[in-house]
Amino acid sequence: MSIAKTQIRQMKLPILPTSMVGSFAMPGWLERLKTDYFARRISHHDLDEIYDAAAKAAIKDQEVAGLDIITDGEPRRDNVVDYFLERIPGIQIDRSSKKFYYDFYDSSVHSKLPTASLGLVRDFQFLKAFTDHETKICITGPHCLTKRLRNQFYPSDEALAMDLARVMNLELKALAKAGAGLIQIDEPYYSGFPEDVSWGIKALNTLVDGVDTKIGLHVCYGNRYGKPSWEGSYRYLFPAVLDAHIQQLTLEFARRGGEDLDLFREFKPSFDLGVGVIDVKNDEIETADMVAEHIRRALAVMPAERIAVLPDCGCFHLARDVAFAKLKAMVEGTKMVRRELGQ
Amino acid sequence: MNLHLNHLNAKAAAVTPMVVEALQKLVAAGDMDPAQFAGLQVQLDWVQYKQNFREVVSVTRGAKVTDMRIDTRQVTPDNLRPEMLRALAGVEGIPLEDFKSFRNSIAWEFNKRYWGNLGDWERMTGKGYQEALPGGKSDGNQDDAVVDSVADFWSLLRDMETRKQLPPEFFILEIGVGSGTRCGMFVEKFRQLDQQRGTSYYPRLRVLMGDYSLETLDMSRPAVKDHIHLCSFLALDALNPLKTLSFLRHKILYIHSTNMYDNLPDEEIMRRDGGLYYVHMRAYVPMPDAVRLAEKYKFPLDGLRGVVDKLLAIGPDFGGDIECGMSFWAELWKAMRLEEQMVAFEDLPDLMLPTGLDVPRLEDILAGVSGDLRFHLSSGALESFVNTIPLLHPRGYLQVQDIFVTDLNDYRVGFHGPGKLDGSIVNWVNGALLKGVAERTGYDLHFAPYRYRKESKTSVLYTTPRE
Repeated sequence: MSIAKTQIRQMKLPILPTSMVGSFAMPGWLERLKTDYFARRISHHDLDEIYDAAAKAAIKDQEVAGLDIITDGEPRRDNVVDYFLERIPGIQIDRSSKKFYYDFYDSSVHSKLPTASLGLVRDFQFLKAFTDHETKICITGPHCLTKRLRNQFYPSDEALAMDLARVMNLELKALAKAGAGLIQIDEPYYSGFPEDVSWGIKALNTLVDGVDTKIGLHVCYGNRYGKPSWEGSYRYLFPAVLDAHIQQLTLEFARRGGEDLDLFREFKPSFDLGVGVIDVKNDEIETADMVAEHIRRALAVMPAERIAVLPDCGCFHLARDVAFAKLKAMVEGTKMVRRELGQ
Repeated sequence: MNLHLNHLNAKAAAVTPMVVEALQKLVAAGDMDPAQFAGLQVQLDWVQYKQNFREVVSVTRGAKVTDMRIDTRQVTPDNLRPEMLRALAGVEGIPLEDFKSFRNSIAWEFNKRYWGNLGDWERMTGKGYQEALPGGKSDGNQDDAVVDSVADFWSLLRDMETRKQLPPEFFILEIGVGSGTRCGMFVEKFRQLDQQRGTSYYPRLRVLMGDYSLETLDMSRPAVKDHIHLCSFLALDALNPLKTLSFLRHKILYIHSTNMYDNLPDEEIMRRDGGLYYVHMRAYVPMPDAVRLAEKYKFPLDGLRGVVDKLLAIGPDFGGDIECGMSFWAELWKAMRLEEQMVAFEDLPDLMLPTGLDVPRLEDILAGVSGDLRFHLSSGALESFVNTIPLLHPRGYLQVQDIFVTDLNDYRVGFHGPGKLDGSIVNWVNGALLKGVAERTGYDLHFAPYRYRKESKTSVLYTTPRE
């Protein structure tokens, strides 16, 4: 069952709250150290310490940029998939299949997945320990994970996704219990497989069932190597997504333009809108004016109280200075609109 | 001394004993220090380009190492020893610049000026530039090759249509248009296939023809005259197409070029005894040629550099007589040579590798090859690639017909440039390095042999998105 908004702890946030989608820039030095780890040149212990330092730096950068909701920047994640599949017991991973740390493992499932902790609460607790801001933790959804798995047991992709959702649901409940105020589910592969959306939403609802916190859903057009994986219109999401048990839907609009904002006028969803205002597939730094204009367009279809401001997707592929400058522009542009609204 | 036979030409290999004997005689005669002999690396090349920048024997020096390179195609029993002595003594000629990485050499200004005055060169030589190519014809214009390219592109559109992913307009881009023939053939064959299959794609085609030479763009127009309503002609820097076309980021479905990468600025790197060195170069005119040119074209010998500057800045009519200017240009270009020195990476605090590459990445790519190696960095090709692929639609692809070195070990068994083709420069493209850089930008590169002309040295590079 879905969680009514009144039951969820209200976050202490200004109007038009700003945050990253999830990841911050992955510095070149960290890429090389990750590669060194795979080449057995540094130990797992050293790598963990490096990750912690990188996460602290990412948290601080977000605070200095002026974001309202903070993530850990996700330096520990090789990509959107492997960090989760590695933690799910019963999934077989060919560790020789990765040339760069960023590559996907060749992963497969051969039997019913057992239930176990995935250890994500530790990431959340680390984040909470280093910021007083409101926080967000991002989880890759069951549809995306299913599409990167060779399914050799379940009768269909849908069945696999539903069982992944069942296993991961326990972790989401643990996160909520630990105090996670906002959990964002990332489902970038919806856009590549629009024909799956109906069962993808069902799996999503299983994933968040009984999770007593605010749930966001992020859907983009892919961000592998800083380029889109697909093109099209978000129209494919509707009306199926209206059944999703979420409180916020975050989409990319900066790169693609705001045409699909009209879908929110047309379908009048009950969930809030997370509007992507920063193009993460382009190194050009947006101006605050450009950001403000994106937000004003969103205001035409949704009241300010129901809009959050974000980049189009994770900042993973941007250089750190570029990502930081973009986030600052996002914050400045948001402040401009807040002032226009008398806030 | 290490002797490296850098070719598989049996006839040329016969020179080897003669080289060893000549070197031993130099030591015996006191013309070479035994310590220098001990550390000497001698490379025997078969320089395939009849017009090139090499002397019969040339010496490349670094702080700790010396390389001697011998062109076995030019060497004779009579000229070997004197050429060795001349090379060891140092270049005697008029330098046209200071030592620098080759990509910044004045040689590339000549190359650029050539494409800007292509018509003048063709009038002077009495033949089209394609006739200067090995084989006398561009591999871009083979009928059956274009037919296959068109079929591939049509299949992509068909698949996208099936998946309801077809955009309203289909942008295609040709970088380096040449005579325009390939583009004209592609669009015409596409129109025919579209009509034959009843798909109505042709009117939605948007053909972007990009070249940095306005003269070349103008010359290409007649080749696409039947489809001119679909074509746009763009002054475009092949090193950075994104600069002109950023509004089409992630929008172009098919990008193609033929023999463009091999004409982009390039430079060379050496790995010697585990250390990495840039090969810095300096263009010069050998003294006998400089004296001859000064006398024939009536300028003081020390005024050569000034005359060259005028030629490059103004063009062949710099003296008011274009025939004379063209003749001077051709003779000067033929005479021009490159002197080399090695500079260790650690002595270059401002070392700038091309976009997409850094020293650790370069070392990773080189890790699969052992020992000493001299190779092209293909800086221009790397830069062009990295600045082109952001234009690709998620389903789009890049196809490049060019001469590629796809295995770094191949640098040990062949000379790969630079050579001269009429007034332009040609270098083989380091496909192995390009592949390594491409992987980090989200694309796998594949090299297919060009199967449409016997004995063609062309390969076809095409991209697939990296999962």
